[in-house]
Amino acid sequence: METVSERVEIEIAAAAPGVPLVRHALRGLLSGLDVGDEVTADIALAVTEACTNAVVHAYPNGDGQGTIHITAAHVDGALAVTVRDHGGGMAPRVDTPGLGVGLPVIAAIAQSVEIGTPEGGGTEVRMRFALSGPAE
Amino acid sequence: MTSGANGIDVERIGAVDVVTLHGEHDLSTATDVSRRIDSALETASGLAIDLSQTTFIDSAVLRVLITAQERASAQGAGFAIAVADSSGHGVHRLLTLTGLDAKLSTRPSREDAIAAAGAR
Repeated sequence: METVSERVEIEIAAAAPGVPLVRHALRGLLSGLDVGDEVTADIALAVTEACTNAVVHAYPNGDGQGTIHITAAHVDGALAVTVRDHGGGMAPRVDTPGLGVGLPVIAAIAQSVEIGTPEGGGTEVRMRFALSGPAE
Repeated sequence: MTSGANGIDVERIGAVDVVTLHGEHDLSTATDVSRRIDSALETASGLAIDLSQTTFIDSAVLRVLITAQERASAQGAGFAIAVADSSGHGVHRLLTLTGLDAKLSTRPSREDAIAAAGAR
């Protein structure tokens, strides 16, 4: 019997080259769950924005010394994704390479999004995505 | 550059430089995309950015596109972005969610974008 993985866990260096690796790992998980292409694309976009936020805001030096921990799990017909950094939190940057639209994009796609400061510091973004139908 | 692989092509067509983004682009390639666009704007009188073979962009790349449009406008260069049916769902989705589909000068095909960028 084929075993379908319903959870992925990945740790990347907190630098730009790690961002697409997370997206590819997520697609692999969602493919195994028979999730549609458009829902998969939406989730990939939201999680990419969360990882980019972590790279840009938690580790503004961009030296790749920190790490970002991502978990994604199939729970009750939804996908629960956590992106946790161990850096300086969501510090504002006037020189940000983004547009400041990351969180609104995540909020528009996800069923729910929570941002917390876990023990030990850093920032944790917890997102939950519907896996059936358009993620409106 | 093979279609489907991630990459950036720049081609001169008339007075227009066409920057084609293949595959996926995000924070990891945004600096390269910006550099190629800046280089094109130094000599071309028009710039077309072709996203018809782009399967994914994030907000870091979107910022590069907005900056390119602003710079082209400031120097009087023509500018247009091709967002076609063949562009990835994520490309359309990001533009719609951010409302920037109304702010950016987009055209429905590569040919239309080149014509628009060369019309100024």
